[in-house]
Formats: sequence, structure tokens, C-alpha cells
Amino acid sequence: MNRAIYPFYFGIATLVVYSIFFVVPGLMGIYHSFTDWNSYSDEIRFIGFDNLAKIFSGEAKYLSYIENTLVFTVSTVVLKTALGLFFAIMLNDGIRAKGLHRVMLFMPSIVPMLVVGLIFKSILNPATGLLNESLRAIGLDFLAQKWLTDLNWAFKSIIAVDIWKGVGYIMIILLAGLQSIDKTYYEAAAIDGANFWQKLTRITIPLIVPALVVTTVLNLLHGLKVFEAVYVLTNGGPGYATDVMYTAIFKEFSTGNYGMGTALSSVLFVVMTVLGYFVVRLMSREGDER
Amino acid sequence: MKKWTMTLLSAFVAMTVVLAGCGGNNGKDATGGSASPSAGASGSSGQGGGKKNVTLTYMASQGWIKDSEMELAKKFEEETGIKIDFQIVPSDQYFNVLKTKLNAGEGPDIFGGQSGYSEITMNYNVEKNAVDLSDQEWVKREDPLSVEQLTANGKVYALTIWDTYSSFVVGYNKKLFAELNLEIPKTYEEFKNVSLKIQEAGVTPIYEPIADGWHHVLWFSEPGPNYDKLEPNLYDDLNQNKKKFVDSKAMLDSLTQLKEMYDLGFFGDNTLSDTGSDTVAKLGSGEFGMSLVAQSVATELAEEYEEFEVEDIGFFPIPLTDNQIYYINPGGPSKFIYSGSKYIEEAKQYFNFLTKQENLQFMLDNDPTISNLNFPDLKNKYTAEQQKLFDGYPERGTDIQNYVNYVNPQWMDIGKDIVAMLSGVIQPVDVLKSIDERRAEMAKVAQDPNWQ
Repeated sequence: MNRAIYPFYFGIATLVVYSIFFVVPGLMGIYHSFTDWNSYSDEIRFIGFDNLAKIFSGEAKYLSYIENTLVFTVSTVVLKTALGLFFAIMLNDGIRAKGLHRVMLFMPSIVPMLVVGLIFKSILNPATGLLNESLRAIGLDFLAQKWLTDLNWAFKSIIAVDIWKGVGYIMIILLAGLQSIDKTYYEAAAIDGANFWQKLTRITIPLIVPALVVTTVLNLLHGLKVFEAVYVLTNGGPGYATDVMYTAIFKEFSTGNYGMGTALSSVLFVVMTVLGYFVVRLMSREGDER
Repeated sequence: MKKWTMTLLSAFVAMTVVLAGCGGNNGKDATGGSASPSAGASGSSGQGGGKKNVTLTYMASQGWIKDSEMELAKKFEEETGIKIDFQIVPSDQYFNVLKTKLNAGEGPDIFGGQSGYSEITMNYNVEKNAVDLSDQEWVKREDPLSVEQLTANGKVYALTIWDTYSSFVVGYNKKLFAELNLEIPKTYEEFKNVSLKIQEAGVTPIYEPIADGWHHVLWFSEPGPNYDKLEPNLYDDLNQNKKKFVDSKAMLDSLTQLKEMYDLGFFGDNTLSDTGSDTVAKLGSGEFGMSLVAQSVATELAEEYEEFEVEDIGFFPIPLTDNQIYYINPGGPSKFIYSGSKYIEEAKQYFNFLTKQENLQFMLDNDPTISNLNFPDLKNKYTAEQQKLFDGYPERGTDIQNYVNYVNPQWMDIGKDIVAMLSGVIQPVDVLKSIDERRAEMAKVAQDPNWQ
């Protein structure tokens, strides 16, 4: 194998820049989680685990924010992967104008979430929005809901908007994975009399596990970090029903409660690291075994 | 060797581009620095003829600087050569931007802010960041209630030029009331019955834009002076931490009444998504009978809808807990001078210019949204209905957020709590408990001696 080996010092400049702008502030943030840093006083006092105690004590709404974030993450990971795989399989072969379909599905991913959020806020307006007006126009009045203000529908609507935006990106990645599968496997299976479901579970899925690892990790991190979708569509409302970790962090920083904001961020950081690590380990190991 | 020169050259080009970008942004950035040396101040040279060549940066939130003031600023520039560079920031971002700049030590020469002791000390840290203006001439003429709002430890820190007597009141469609034979309600029960009759007639009683997040809190906070009347010394007890919100039966009644109004459907089906920008349209179309509005809405309605005259909208204060007091907010968006500014004297000159009697009258005459200013001896523009309102409710009082500490900074949070209450997720008493918790947090952080 001819591997060009570059001297290690080529990477030093990048590492230095990365450390200064990402690692150091991150560590400082974690330090500040243990202080009462705020905008009203100039002195910062070390208060130990008080912030963390408040988050996990259950008296404030922090636990519900964590719960909402996790629900959002799990829902979007599962649904985006399932729908992404579905679309990828559909558009892999045998459909006309598949290039056009792929582009149409991918387009929402490049529109900024803020723009998507504002558009959907208008579409989902219960009285004048496009969705409800269309349902009423074709006589399906009973399906018209208060999408963003009804406690039963607000969070589901946010999840739906996020899926609408993100599924195209996942589809593209899985499509690449699908196209790397050798056709001879399918031919052999067809000769052996396998049906569609067996082909899917015995050939397709095992062979795209690397791509699935990538999409799962991406979805996971995206779900845990969700902010704009919630902020623009409902701002955590109605009441506090759809608040997630990041809208809580934003609110803490806006009210000048920086110490608590960084504490919440640190909790999120730990959760992301642990989950990300385990997901990669789990899925890589499975891939290797097969 | 060639590879080395190429990589060095490309690295050099990349760095130059980055630096140029950063440097360029400083000049063009609209919300960028204070009196940044490159912009405006080509020195205090040009002293000849008393005209200076100076630019003052003035940062404010959307809606705080009226067109009339900008015109006066142009006149000011002609007279003195001092230019005012207005930097308007969208309202939901304004306080973040302001606090960041003040904390970074880069405040603009003049900045806008709200009034109230806890607001100015906790949010803007005026003792460090603003100039003491107590010795200025206009302090003697300004409405003393307003001056009090901007005073901390005996020093006056800002100038307020605002219509402070124009409180949010319930505006009602007089023609509708006449048709249904309704009278102005003086108690909550009467208000409920009036709304029920309007509802029976097929009109939605009240337009309430809850989606804006701040408006619906007014129903609870404005009748504050009535709570103080029903439970004497409530305001001072709250400020000295001798009592908490959760101890006040009047406040609990107020929230319970608001919840009842929501449950009876007075606000209509879409209230959680309704926005304030539609108020005039909703009242004008006859779909809604009343709304909690600024008094200028009557004029706006008359301008847009031919069938409405200015006198067709009447007013009465919020009748929750049987309130009959005309509540006022003696403070308002105010102008502060940054202590780290290089042009403090010029900024003071600007304030003196604005408060000249003829300029105040100019602002009053050329701003359709206000009827009076908080300075004496001005010709006001009150309509007949407004005059009736002031004459009909002679008792005056200050609303909660301008007397009781640590309320204004948590306004939007109270808004969210009230929405949770209306949706049935929490009880009215829980809203009061949340308010107390947040007050305690702010007081602790501000090291308020009453909360030790």
C-alpha cells in the first residue's frame, strides 16, 4: 500500500485553532456550571453542585425539558431513519424521473430551519393556515386541529416539521449505502425464492449498517441539539409543554442566569457524548460481527 | 521548495482575506461598536463657530424612537453639527444586544432602556454604566412620578419623554353596546354578564392576542393598585418581602377570574394563535366586541374603517376584582447616557435640545400614537372619549410592574405561566408560586437585603 504520510506538524495549526475556539471555551463552560455567574453582579462565586441539584431535583421544569428533548430525539431518529430508508429504496431503481424525486426530497434540507419554521408557523395557523383551510375546503373539517397550540398536537407538529426538513438528507446518505450493495446478492436471493421482506432484512439492512451508523449518530446529535424548530414554531409553548434543553438554555442566558445556562449545556454535553459513544460502539460491533 | 512557496502563499492569502473580512465588518456592522473611531468622530476639530463634527450613536428597541424625534435630530445636527446615528434593534433581541454591549464595555453613547428601580439597577447596572443626570435642567420640569422611576440611590439616570397616562384599557364597540342595551360594567360580575350577552348575539366578546406572549399578562398586572387597595400596604410588603404573591387573595381572585373568562370562551377559539397586529382588523370587522387596547386604537380604527368614527370606541379600565382605579405606568422607554462614552457633554446637549418646550410640543403634534407627554404645559390631543375616561375614573394608581420589584424582568415567563394555567396544566395559585420563586432568585442574585 502506498500511503503518503504527512508530518504530524501539518495538523498543529488546525489543532491549535480548534483548541482555542472550541475546546477551551467548552472547558470554561463546564467550569462555570459550578458557579453562580450572572449578569447582575461582577463577582463569580463557586457554588459547587447547586445548579445540577436544581436541575435534577424535579421542582423546576428542567426534568420535563430533558424528557421533551429525549422524546424528540427518539421520535426523529426512528422516523427519519425509517422514512429515509423507505424513500431510498423507492428511489434506488426502477422509477422514472428518480433524479427529480431525489432533488425534491432533498431540497428542504438546504433551506434554513428558521425559514422552514416561519413558513410552517403560517401553514399551521388554526384559523387561516394553508393546512386547515385545505382540509376545510375538501370537507375534512374534523381533521383540522390547532396544530401548534393544542397540547396534544404541538409537540407532534414540531416533530413532523423537523422530519419533513431532515428526511431528504438521510435519504441521500442511505441511498449511497444502498448503491454500494452488490446486485448479485439480490439475484442469488431471488433464485433461492426470497420475498421482498426477506431481501430487506437479510441483505439490505445488514449491508448498510455503516451508513445507518452515520445517520443514527447524525440524527441523534441533531435531535439533542434541536432549538430553532421549537423556538420559531411555539417558543416552548403552550405554557412550557414543548420546551427543550436548548430553549431552556437560551432563556437562562436571556435572563442573565449564565451559570445555570452553562450547567444545562454541560448536562447536554455529557448526554451527547455518552449516547454517541454507545451508539457507535454498538452499531460498529454489529457490523463487524456480520 | 515550490510546494512550500505555494502553501505559504495560499496561507498568507487566506489570512489576509479573513483579516480584511473582520476589519471590514467593524465599519459596516450596523449593531457594531460604540463611537468606533473610524465612523463619525473625525475628531473634535472644527470647533470654529461652535459647530462640532461629532456622531453620537443611539441604540434603541423597535418602536421607541418615533419619526418626530428623528426629524428633531436632523434639526439638532443642523444647529450644532452633532449627528445622531440611530441604531434600531428588533424588540425581542434588544435586551440581549444591550446587555452584551454593556458587559463588554462597549456601550453606545446613548442607549434606550425601560424604567423601574429593579430594571435599571439589575438589568443595566446604571450606577456603573450610566451618567448621573440629576443636575440637568429638565429634571425639574419632568413629571416627578416619571423621574422617580429612573432614580437609583437619589440619582437620576435617564430622560423619559413618553405618553405615560395612556394605559391599556378595555376598548368597546359603542354601537354594539347600544344595540344590545349594555352599560359599562363596574364590577367583574357585570363584565361577565355583558360578555355573555355579546356572546349570545353571535359576536366574540374579547379579542386577546395571546400569541404575542406579553399582552395577556396585562389583565393580571394592570389592576395592581386595586389589589393594594383591597389589601392595604400590599405593594410595600411585597417589596420588603413581608408578603409574597401567593399570600394575596386579590391576586388569586384576579387570575381565577381570567381563567373563567377563558373557559367561558370569551376570547374566542383561536386566541392562543392571535396576534396584536390584527386587533384593529378584528374590531373593525365586527367579529369581536371588545379588546384590551392602547387608546390610540380608536383613531386607527376610524382611519381604516369608514363606518367607525373616533367616538365609536369607548373605554373603561380592566374590571377584574371589581377594579375602578385608572392604573398608570409612570415610566416608559427612557434615554440613558453611557458612562464610557467619549461625548457625554454632546449627549447632554441633545437631551437639553429635546426637552425644549417647542420641541416637546413638536413631538406631541407630529406623533399620531400619543396624546400627551410627561412634561407640563403642553397642548394635549385627548379625544372626547379619552377625556370621559379620565374624568370618569378619578382614582389613580401605579400598576404592579412599575412599583413592585423583580416583576418586569420576568414578564414573558409570567406570560408562559398564564398560558399554562389557561390550558389547565397548572392552577392559578401555581402561577403566583412561580412568580415568587423567580422574584426570590432575582433578589438573591441582586443581594437584596430584604431576602437574606
